[in-house]
Amino acid sequence: MKYRLNRRRFIQATSSAIAVGALSSVTTRAVAQSSGELRVLVNGGEVGKAQIEAYVKPFAAETGINVTPITQDLDFAKLELMMKANNVTIDASPLNPGAVFPATDKGYLEKIDYSIYKKEELDGFYDFARDPFGVASLVYSYNMIYNTKKFPADKQRPANWAEFWDVAKFPGTRFLVSGQLGAEGPWEEALLAEGVDLDRLYPMDIDRIFASLDKIKPHIRKWWTNGSEIQQLMSGGTGDIMNSYDGRAISLIDKGSPIEINRSQAKLTWDYWVIPKGGPNTQNAQKFIEFATRGERQAVFCKLYPEGPSNRNAFKFIPKDVARKLPTHPDYVAKSIPINGRWYAEVGSDGLSNTQRLAQRWNEWVLR
Amino acid sequence: MQMLQKFGRMPIALTVPALAILLVVFGVPIVQLFLTSLNAPDLSMVNYRAFFGRSANVRVLYQTIEISLVATAICLIIGYPAAYLIVTASKRLRMTLIVLVVIPYLTSGLARTYAWIIILGDGGLINNLLLELGLISSPLPLIYNRMAVYIAMVHIMLPMMILPLVSVMMGIDRSLMAAARSMGAGPFTAFWRVFFPLSLPGVRSGSLLVFVICLGFYITPAAVGGLRDAMLSTFIASQVSTGFDMAPIAASSFILLAIAVAVLSLLGLDLSGTQGRAVQAVRKSRPSRRPSFGTIKSYLRELPVSSRAKRWTVQLYQARGDSQWSKIVGPVFVVVVMFYLLFPEAVVIIMSFSAGSVLEFPPSGLSLRWYRSFFDDPSWYGAAWTSIQIGVAVAVLSTVVGTLAAYGISRARPQLRSSLTMAILTPITIPVIVVGVATYFGLANLGLIGSKTGIVLAHSIGAIGYVVVIVSATLANFDRTLEQAAMSMRAGPLQTFMRVTLPLIRPGIIGGAVFAFIHSFDEVVVTSFVGGFSMYTLPLKMWENIRNQIDPTVAAVASLLTLLPVIWLVALYVTWWRSRRTSHRVLPEAQV
Repeated sequence: MKYRLNRRRFIQATSSAIAVGALSSVTTRAVAQSSGELRVLVNGGEVGKAQIEAYVKPFAAETGINVTPITQDLDFAKLELMMKANNVTIDASPLNPGAVFPATDKGYLEKIDYSIYKKEELDGFYDFARDPFGVASLVYSYNMIYNTKKFPADKQRPANWAEFWDVAKFPGTRFLVSGQLGAEGPWEEALLAEGVDLDRLYPMDIDRIFASLDKIKPHIRKWWTNGSEIQQLMSGGTGDIMNSYDGRAISLIDKGSPIEINRSQAKLTWDYWVIPKGGPNTQNAQKFIEFATRGERQAVFCKLYPEGPSNRNAFKFIPKDVARKLPTHPDYVAKSIPINGRWYAEVGSDGLSNTQRLAQRWNEWVLR
Repeated sequence: MQMLQKFGRMPIALTVPALAILLVVFGVPIVQLFLTSLNAPDLSMVNYRAFFGRSANVRVLYQTIEISLVATAICLIIGYPAAYLIVTASKRLRMTLIVLVVIPYLTSGLARTYAWIIILGDGGLINNLLLELGLISSPLPLIYNRMAVYIAMVHIMLPMMILPLVSVMMGIDRSLMAAARSMGAGPFTAFWRVFFPLSLPGVRSGSLLVFVICLGFYITPAAVGGLRDAMLSTFIASQVSTGFDMAPIAASSFILLAIAVAVLSLLGLDLSGTQGRAVQAVRKSRPSRRPSFGTIKSYLRELPVSSRAKRWTVQLYQARGDSQWSKIVGPVFVVVVMFYLLFPEAVVIIMSFSAGSVLEFPPSGLSLRWYRSFFDDPSWYGAAWTSIQIGVAVAVLSTVVGTLAAYGISRARPQLRSSLTMAILTPITIPVIVVGVATYFGLANLGLIGSKTGIVLAHSIGAIGYVVVIVSATLANFDRTLEQAAMSMRAGPLQTFMRVTLPLIRPGIIGGAVFAFIHSFDEVVVTSFVGGFSMYTLPLKMWENIRNQIDPTVAAVASLLTLLPVIWLVALYVTWWRSRRTSHRVLPEAQV
């Protein structure tokens, strides 16, 4: 008798617990769908904090639309999962070109409504910043950076990627970015080292890339895979020269590391603001993105976090010393190459995109 | 009551709750994935042929197995003697040592990997020290090679080897060794012929856990390894992010699973009921060993028997440690192992008090600013609270369900036993990234994406596996005749379980619960899939922090996490101590 009672009570308790759990999840979803509020991804870390200050809070204040910022990143796998499960829980997000173009081809993204943008803002965008399915949110770059103890300004130092490859003339501990993901890799740098012109890189010759990488492979101490490794490698004082995100290098410089950035032959890349199809509130998402890409807003962001604006109008609001830190400063853009995301997404006769082909080739190459 | 009795007669039914959760959250989508890998409905092997058609894949596959096997072997070689020495230590020392083993295990794997970079790096602790001492003129290449991969992987996996070994060894009746000695066996023979076979279940479950988890590693090899030290999971992860082509990803995952299955069947899948097997193995080993050792050796072995027989009464009641030599070697070995386990931990803790804004060792100044940054930031402590809630729910759910399942499995027919074990272990044998994808679909079917219930279920499918492995190992050493004795005294099956079985297997259950909690508390990949951008756990927050800007808040969090097992073990010790007093009262009754 005693056990039976216990069992009944146990079943009651558990079933009500399950019911409460299920109910609470249902209600939260229902709330998110019914009101006009926005759920926007803003990336993590300092970038996330800056995006909240520069975009999320002022947008809510101006329009009265409530925005929930989510400090996480979107990638292609997660976007595709949401689409396949028919469970789109976010309205807008930054997304890298490596994911935007395949997502466009698969019909996962809403078209950007450029009709709500002011003419002067539209004219302000760099050419690469405007895509039918995305507007560039922030621009960053891969640069050569040196340790100034090893390569002081008064002595000769590697000026371009061909000289980075010249290990006899410029000895030192070198690092390069790993190419395991295909989309991010030292591909353009390898071709520039071979002497290919800046404006003739694309379409890239994959055989030539790996022939060039063969030459530098024995001299690379570490192929880094994520940005925080840059700080680890360079702040220890053991690294002499590497390719690095400019933002990471600047934050090292600001903390007193003996580092200098070489802006020539920099590789520009950026995130696009995108709107996943079938999100709860795509109309307001269009308004949010228009707001967040205004020059004035981007200027606020860039002052908080040193990444480049995609809208040239932003420079009207940015002090000169800050502008010099940004990769899209007009002087730097002239010496840089914008990455060609379309080429990476191109699918060949074998059904593989160039990104996938690079990743596969890389995986074979590393084992050799 | 009738139903319960039926359950008693049909113990296999006890596995139902575990299997039901597995099936709904993970089983159905994984079958879908398998069909995808076969290009269903066409059913072709094209994806598998494509996998083996690329020589790089085959070499990485081989390398993955090699790295996992070597890491497991090193864990066993270090872990077995360590576990033995822990078990033979005095009670208080044993408790302390177990705590010391658990502490590094609870620290985030990410933080520990980071600590190794600080220790082994070109400008790291060891190289700096050697340079200062003038022993070397340029940094030694300690990192970015295979050696560093093993050092860091073994460091992460060693507690996984030691804890199951300890839990099994604690269950071995010490008087058996004494009996062997009384029959004239030397200390080594007594160990090798009696203790070792009885400890095999622990060896097996420890090795199994370690090997299978190593198969899925990729963050650690990528961080401390060289360009060549790629694991298959790295490939799968890069496939997932370069293009979401599910069929080849599913094919690679099932190949990895097939390897796990193959190795498990070589090692012996049978986690429970190994007592009979162990005895058999000993019997079998006799005739097979004789010819190899030669008759002379066996004759030589017989020679000292008479003199030993004279001494045995004296030795039997002597403290362990027969020679001066072993008295020194044992403690030194334990100290070295503990140093290896705890030194990176110490590095993390010291770095957390750094006054600087980057992780550095030794810190340039001391301050509590990173602890303040944890307690001042709701996104940090909020995430910690979410993780604790989820961890506790996972521990309760998977311990109850997993213990029932382990009990049911141990009573099942051998053939059924191995396939059930395999089924329950699947979520920890498949690369986490695939588990994440499969679970996502499973929970999406239930509408639980982005809810706490969903995350609890997603973590539980893995945690149940750990509980089953550990509880099964304990059950393997459990003497069934005690249950039969209770039943003969007219105790019902439930009463027998509650009064006899449960108290005896409690160490295993508690171990299982601890592992389940930790599994949930440290999980990143699956959570990032099923969290649906609305649930934020502590590891997710740490992962975000590590990818974006490494500030010492991560070290502060990791240090706070080491406090957790200490508090916990104090609580456990108190409950144990109390239950021991009651069990003393019960025991004489039972013996009557």
